[in-house]
Amino acid sequence: MVRVLIVEDERKLAQVLSSALEAEHYDVVVAATGEDGFYRANAELFDLVVLDLMLPGRSGLEILQTLRQRHVDAPVLILTARDGVDDRVLGLDLGADDYLVKPFALPELLARIRALLRRGRPSEVLRLKVADLELDLVSRRVVRGDRLVDLTGREFELLEYLVRHQGHLVSREMLARDVWKEPRRATPLDNVIDVQMARLRRKVDSDGALRLIHTVRGVGFVVREGEL
Amino acid sequence: MTRWWRTASIRVRLTAWYTAVLALMLVVYASVTFVAVRHEFYEQLEEEEHVEAAHSQQSAEQRVEQQLAEILLVLVLGLPVIVVLAGGGGYVLARRALSPIDRLAADARRITAERLHERLSVPNEHDEIGRLAAVINETFARLESSFDQLRRFTADASHELRTPLSVIRGIGELGLGETRRPAEYKEAIGSMLEEVDRLTRLVDTLLRLSRGDAGTVRLSPEPLDLAELARDVAASLGVLAEERQQRLVVNAVAGVPVVADRLVMREAIANVVDNAIKYGPSPSTIVITVNGSETQAVLEVTDEGPGISPQHRTRIFDRFYRVDEGRSRERGGTGLGLAIAKWAVEANGGHIALVSGPAGSTFQIVLPRE
Repeated sequence: MVRVLIVEDERKLAQVLSSALEAEHYDVVVAATGEDGFYRANAELFDLVVLDLMLPGRSGLEILQTLRQRHVDAPVLILTARDGVDDRVLGLDLGADDYLVKPFALPELLARIRALLRRGRPSEVLRLKVADLELDLVSRRVVRGDRLVDLTGREFELLEYLVRHQGHLVSREMLARDVWKEPRRATPLDNVIDVQMARLRRKVDSDGALRLIHTVRGVGFVVREGEL
Repeated sequence: MTRWWRTASIRVRLTAWYTAVLALMLVVYASVTFVAVRHEFYEQLEEEEHVEAAHSQQSAEQRVEQQLAEILLVLVLGLPVIVVLAGGGGYVLARRALSPIDRLAADARRITAERLHERLSVPNEHDEIGRLAAVINETFARLESSFDQLRRFTADASHELRTPLSVIRGIGELGLGETRRPAEYKEAIGSMLEEVDRLTRLVDTLLRLSRGDAGTVRLSPEPLDLAELARDVAASLGVLAEERQQRLVVNAVAGVPVVADRLVMREAIANVVDNAIKYGPSPSTIVITVNGSETQAVLEVTDEGPGISPQHRTRIFDRFYRVDEGRSRERGGTGLGLAIAKWAVEANGGHIALVSGPAGSTFQIVLPRE
């Protein structure tokens, strides 16, 4: 079982995080203070650490620095309320592997954690499949059952991203950053995402077949077999 | 002495200067007069000497001496009296001349942040005091308008934040009211999350604008092609135009190099184009034109909409300003798109303006070319 340490002093947030991670079958330990977090990360073995930067007592950056100096090499994902470039750069320089700015979307946190845990284990796939939908990543051909689905370049990238995350929620922020390569989710882009998603859905889920692309209101999208 | 001099009011200093100069001039004038009179007397005396020979010479000389002494006495005693009188007069004059300034100061003190609409009275706009008052009034007018803007912005911002908050609250209270089916709970939570999303984006945008105001945003200018950037935006937002049966056309000359921050400029152009798509009729055509001269690069976005009436034109770039109050919110806009565009263009050393033609609106972005 994958062990995750959450160092977060805000009680409600810590609770939400630990419930979300437990629902994904991680073994979760919560430390409510910097001291406690530092002690545990030092003494026990974790596969991943989620670290809040603003902690009473010992700051997240200090903890991170000391951990790295002592060769505790578990991947660290930092959470920060400040989205200034300096904070991020400092965190990454001190040895953090990824960061998220509060308020973040849970699907995004989960996706980042999966990515960090997957790291170093390259999984070169040439075909993706969900139910009767198949994507050939080399020829960029998409087949639903025995029907060829004709997609534009952007639609293909969007579908590929959704299918790669199949069974997991994908937020608009994730799509903006990973599919559209935009650092910021501005209003025009949001509308573009919605339009592209509607078109993709028409092409993929059109003929009364089993619906694969689902919208989760207020959260994002998910590709999966069967209803939610 | 110097300390007293600096703390003395202008009218005291003017009086002192005036008195000193007057005294000096009077002393010079009196001395010259005295010397001339004396010279005249002695010449007369010499003429009389020839006529009357030597007799009674002594007494004539004595008489002249005595008369001269009397004149000297009058001058020495009279001069200070005249100087003192003139000084007093000077003081009264200076006070009269400067009293409008005192009134101006008292007036200006009365005008505080809460009473910025008041103005100084300008008794005569052609004299120095009048011109000073006019200048101060202009400053007050500018202050008042920026105070107004700030106040409006704060009110608008709280309103914009309050709306999603009250929706979240309402849905939460309704949801907890009685037991409902799981699907209804999902619906309620989803709709709360949508509002949270709106709040998040609003706060992000406000934060960016306030960073822009504070000048703490670091741009990374790089050489880039404005025409290419325009095509890039058009390609990205093309689907939005398609959905509204609009044609998005880019008319660009080959290569318009500028030095600007790519991401920031891209956002500015995207916001302006998005605005044109939103408010342009369907079907219609939106044209993005990119031109360059020696000194500047110009990007224009023209729609075939109804245009923007003059009353809205000046405020269209204001934060939260909406031409049509009800329409924008349901389309997911924050009311900050053009404000962000304005900031982004100006941060890159350019300027943005609305230049409306006979039909439709044209937004013009001008960037300098070094």
